[in-house]
This record gives sequence, C-alpha cells and structure tokens, in this order.
Amino acid sequence: MIRPVLFALLLTGSAVAQVSHEEIAKGAGENWLTYAGTYSGWRYSPLTQINAANVRNVVPKWVYHVPGARGLQSSPIVYQGVLYVTAPNSIYAVDGRTGRLIWRYADPRAKANGANRGAAIWQDKVYFTTTDNYLVALNRHTGALIFNKQYADVAKGTTSTSAPVIAKGKVIVGSSGGDGGMRGFLMALSADTGEELWKTYTIPAKGEKGSETWGDLIDWGGGATWLSGTYDPALNTLYWTTGNPWPDYNGSVRPGDNLYSCSLLALDLDTGKMKWYFQFTPHDTHDWDAQSWPVLLDTEIAGKPRKAVLHANRNGFFYALDRVTGEFLRATPLIDKVTWAKGIDAKGRPIELPNIEPSAEGRWICPSVKGATNWMGQSYNPGTGLLYVLTLEQCGMYFRSSQQPQPMKNFSGGGATEEGGQVILRALNPKTGLRVWEYPMTGLGRMWTGTVSTAGGIIFSGDDDGNLLALDARNGKHLWHFNVGEMLTASPVVYSIDGKQYVAIASASAVFSFGLFEPAESIASPVIEIKKK
Amino acid sequence: MRVFAATPFAAALFALPVLAQHGMYLSDSKNPAIGNPEAIAAGTKLFMGSCAGCHGPDGGGGARGPNLVRRSLWHPLSDENIFAVIRNGVADMPATKLPDDQTWNLVAFIHSLTGPASTNPVPGDPAAGKAIYWGAKAGCANCHSIRGQGGSMGPDLSNIGGSRPLAVIRESVVEPAKDLYYLGNEAATVELKNGQKLEGVAKNRSNYSLQLVDTKGALHLIQMRDVKKLTISDTTPMPTDFAKRLSRTELRDLLAYLAKQDIRGKESAQ
Repeated sequence: MIRPVLFALLLTGSAVAQVSHEEIAKGAGENWLTYAGTYSGWRYSPLTQINAANVRNVVPKWVYHVPGARGLQSSPIVYQGVLYVTAPNSIYAVDGRTGRLIWRYADPRAKANGANRGAAIWQDKVYFTTTDNYLVALNRHTGALIFNKQYADVAKGTTSTSAPVIAKGKVIVGSSGGDGGMRGFLMALSADTGEELWKTYTIPAKGEKGSETWGDLIDWGGGATWLSGTYDPALNTLYWTTGNPWPDYNGSVRPGDNLYSCSLLALDLDTGKMKWYFQFTPHDTHDWDAQSWPVLLDTEIAGKPRKAVLHANRNGFFYALDRVTGEFLRATPLIDKVTWAKGIDAKGRPIELPNIEPSAEGRWICPSVKGATNWMGQSYNPGTGLLYVLTLEQCGMYFRSSQQPQPMKNFSGGGATEEGGQVILRALNPKTGLRVWEYPMTGLGRMWTGTVSTAGGIIFSGDDDGNLLALDARNGKHLWHFNVGEMLTASPVVYSIDGKQYVAIASASAVFSFGLFEPAESIASPVIEIKKK
Repeated sequence: MRVFAATPFAAALFALPVLAQHGMYLSDSKNPAIGNPEAIAAGTKLFMGSCAGCHGPDGGGGARGPNLVRRSLWHPLSDENIFAVIRNGVADMPATKLPDDQTWNLVAFIHSLTGPASTNPVPGDPAAGKAIYWGAKAGCANCHSIRGQGGSMGPDLSNIGGSRPLAVIRESVVEPAKDLYYLGNEAATVELKNGQKLEGVAKNRSNYSLQLVDTKGALHLIQMRDVKKLTISDTTPMPTDFAKRLSRTELRDLLAYLAKQDIRGKESAQ
C-alpha cells in the first residue's frame, strides 16, 4: 500500500512550499504554474502516464460547475493538486483530485464585467485581475485577501482580461479595450505589494518616435495587450503582442503604419524598455490583432541555429523572427486562403494586393476578422519537434463607417462578418514553416479552445464542436474524444497529484478533469463525531 | 482528543456562511437620498410609522413581514427594485401613495439597514475600533485576517464592511452561535490511518474527501478513505461573550472599524 506514504509527503510539502521563480521557469510537470505552462509558451507537459498507447482508457474524473459561468476562458493554474480557475471578477480554488470547492473569492462590485483568461501564482499567493483593472493577491491556502491594487482606470477605456505572468517577482499585466479607443500598455507590478514598477505604452505619445505613423487619433490608438506573453529568462526579455489600431475598420483617419499596433514587442523585464519591435500588419484595417502566442524556440532556420520566436498571426502568415535582434527570418502561409497580401517581402512587410480596405458596400477578404488563428493556446512538443496551431479557414465582409470616431463609445469605425469556415488543427515544422499534417474539424468556427501536448506523444485539444480530443502528436491520428456538451472557449492543462496524471479543461460553464480508468473502490465511512458545545 | 477551547485555535470563527453567500448588493442607484443622513432620518420616521408594524422596528421581520436585513443576503434587491416594491406593493403588502422624494427616503433607510455597512453612515470611532480589533482584549486577529494580517481559522474580514449590513456584522460579533452553521467554517480534527493528526477548519467535506486548512494556515487535501476519525464541532468556535467582554462604546467602535473594511474602499487598509 503506497498511498499513506505519498500522502505524508504531500502534507510535509504543502506546509512549507512556496512557488519560486525557478519552479515556474522549470516548466510544467506535476504543477502547471503559468498560463502557457512554460515561460516559452510551449503548453507542453513532460508527463507520460497518459500516452498514445493508453489514452483510449481516459475517463472523466470530476466536473466542477462554476456558479453562473458562461463562456469560461480560464486556463487553470495548478499547484500541489489545487486548481485555480478564474471567471469574470472571481476565482475558485478546486481540489484537483475530487473537483470539490476549497474557496472562492468574488468581487461583484467591479465596475466592468468581461472575460478572464486565468490566474498566476507566486510564493504563497495566487493572483488575478478584475475586469476593472485591480490586481488581486490572495492566500493560496485560504483565499484570504492579501492586497488588491488598482493599476489602470476603466473610465479611460482600459479593462483587463488576460492572465498575469509572474517572472522574478514581477507581475506583468496587460490592457484590453482596443476596439473602443484606449492607449495600450504593459505594466510590471510588485508581486509583494502590487506597487507599479514600470509601465510601457504600446502606442507612442505625440512627438515621440513612432508618433509620425499616426494622425490626430494617436491618444486613442489601441494596441491593447490582451493576451499573456512569453519570457526568456536567459535574455531577461518579455515577448508580448499588441492589438489592432483604433478605429479598427476606418484607416483613413490614422494615416501611416500606426506603430506599435499589430506587433510583437521585446521588452526588458527589469525596466520595461523596448529592445525591438516587429510589426506584422502595418496600418491594419481588418482587426487582425497580433494576439497569438510568441513561442520561443532554439532551432535551425535556413541552415543556421537561431534563438527564434515563432508566431502564427491572425493575418494568415506564420512568422519566424530572431528573438535576440527582432530580425525577420521567414514567413509562410498559415492557411490556404489569403486574399489581402501576395506574400511577405524580405524585410517582413506584407506585399498587399489592391482594394483590401473595408468599404461602405463591404469588401470580401480572407481571412475573416477572427483571423487565421487567434489567442487559442498552441503547443510545441520537443519530442516531435512540431508546433500545433488551431487555424481557421474563413472569409468575411468588411465594412467601413464614415461616422466620426468616438473613443470609448464602442465605436470601431465599421464592422465585419464571419461566414462559414472551418477550424483545422495544423502541425507546423518550425525549421521550415511548412505543414506536416492537419486535422480538420466539424463546427461553425466559434470555438476559442486550444491545445496542450505531452511527452506521452499526444496532443489534447478542444475541437470546434464541444469535444476534448486526443490526437497522436506524430501524425494527427484521432485517439480519443469526450463531448463536454457545450462550446469550448479555454485551453486544457495537464497536472498530476498522488502519482496520477490528469488533463483538465474549462468548458463554457464548468471545469472537467480526466484521468485513466480505475475501478471504483468502496470507501468505508470513517468515524465522524459531531461535537456538541 | 484535544478540546478546541483549550487550544489557541479556539478563538473566533465568523459564523457567516461563506459558500452559500451571494455577497452581492445590487445597488447602482445614484439617487442623492442613498447614504444621505438626513434622508435616512426622514426614512426612519416613515418606516417606524408605516412599515415597522410588519417588518419589525429594525427591519428584522415580524409576524406579517419578512426580515429585510437578512433576506438581502440571499436575495439582494437594487434600490430601484425596493422603490418599486414600496410604490406598487407585493403579495399582501399594499401599494403606497408616497411622493417620489419620500419613497426615496424610505429606500435610503432600508438601504442603510440592508446595504453594505461601508456604504452607510455608521456610528462610532473606527480608529478606536482598530485598536480594539488588533488588541488582546477582543483578540479578533487571532483567527481573522484583514489584508494579509491575522489568523487563518476564521473567515477573512477584508471585505466584511463591503459585503454585509451593519446589523448582520453586529449580530455575528455579539451572537455568533445564533446563526445556522455552514459547511466551509467547521472546526475539525482529523486522525489519519497513518497516525497523523491535523486540526483546523474544514473548508469543504463530503463522505469521500476533506479539504482542511490547518492551524498554521496550510491547506491539506485529504481522501476520507485515509481518515480514521474526523471530529467536527457543531457550533462556532468564536467566543460568544463579546457583548460582555467589550463595553458598549468599544463594541460600537469595533463595528465602525469592521464597517470600513471594504475591498473597494480607499480607507480599508488596516
């Protein structure tokens, strides 16, 4: 009987354990300590108990219904068997073996209520942000508030949706709201106090370098940072993507490239200073935020070893950059149907086709506004050497409004439709940028779920039809699926407790956790004494 | 078997339900009567004349009308909803013909009874109450924490003023055992089959698993098949003598301090 031993170890562990920088930097294992599992954005787990040979024996272990939740986007953080799951303006600590609620914290008086993509953990605290930009730090054992600190003003058009990323005691928080006019930024706050350490705007102020790429609307230029980024500890550099320029569909009022919208920024962790930037879509008029994962990988590109950053962009191309210098290395088509650009030139700039701007009558363009991919979690598996990206083959009509831009009035300068389309999970070779295999899905292109891949040779991914599925990481062969019965809008995570591996995913309204089948064991009730006072 | 009263852990558990609470006050009204002491005073007069007969003089409920204070915990109403109920009546409650401003005065009074304590004028000296809270005589911090300071056996009070009406906070301090006892706050002692013994608060439990925070504040996930014996206290470990232990002034000041604890308030830092 091995159980009591494991249990005793767990008890000793939890009394003293503090989540350290090294532990997060090590990447996922039993725990899942940062949004993408690893600082490099791999969503990769080295666990092998569930593998390609036995994944067909995976069964649901528990479900936790998050009260009142609709469209959960949270990717759970897992530490010592506890899952921390966020919903708008609230967070739940759930027992990873049983799905039982341990504590919850809610702030129903927040001045805005929007999606939340997850929590972060550091030492003995769990962090998340409210929609109206409070960083909340809680005791991970009890849920008691340690501090909450407002870092941005919702009255200025900024909200918060992304999971914070914590590196070396700095909590990196982003900004949302770029479709309504705001000025995007990235901030570092102290994990101990919530105090501001630095703030870097993604759109220059009037007169600053880059401001010549805008017109008068620069103060409301957007460039939101609404998805968590990645981090290279050796280079001490953060890689963060920026969103669309504002107003989204009317480019005539913001002549120029609109720096640094639709870009990847490399920032120094200690100072927030920009080391370099790369703009994927200059002067975007199709709402193609650059939000998708900047995946950090050391690999060979065009015969040369590179410290690369890979980026599957909403605009339809798959990029490789040198992450030390920001040098453009290569771009290949991510999807089959791209009608706005012929390709990407040697400097990384799109070779645009004529008549692509949205118009009053509407312009039919591929990809659609949702993009060739989006913020769905992608994963890199060092065993197969492949990057797995959920892509969307979809086109849409883009309209431009001649209305005067009105910041913070939910005005986007036009609109766009999403018509038909198909979600296809694609395995890409980082060395060449080319597809190795693909797995087409049934559905309406409405999912926002992502992937995780493991050393067990499998990819867990949500599909476009409410299934969590397992594919063979080498060839995309279907191995297993489970219908959760509703749309998936979050990415799965993998964890282990008491030597048992689990895979968990938030569906629209609940958290599901799965593991290998074990015959039920009858549990003899222990002696329970109710003490009267 | 250790007895709870003999351990340092024995001090205060707040008898309010944690898991069951909605913790939500749905008021967004910008009507100037809300929180205005004069309007509340005028509303008090009206309430005593026309409403107290059914709802009780403190809104605590009577033979014919529900408890307005406690009900708000389970079924919060916005100020506009309360206004509409007073104006139009509901079930056996008759409609009124009060003009708008007087109806709003009544809403302001009911809000002051049922709304979060932090949003209403509260008598007492919060600075003096702070000293009482953190001092040895009341000993609140032995078990409760505010913004990361204090014990972990009792519910966190960082938002107590922002989530509870004053009357409910008062009742919880003065008569902590009066309330029903809920899962999430049970004092528990566990003997495991491997001989280990743990003491703390059961955050949750079922026939199959137990989630326990021990007296040092560390969380333990326990399978009931590993448990030899679980002892649960059926009442609150919070002392029940605060009405005697503290003077009237001390109690008032303590409540004034607790009323200020609001995660959305600027002055809530301890």
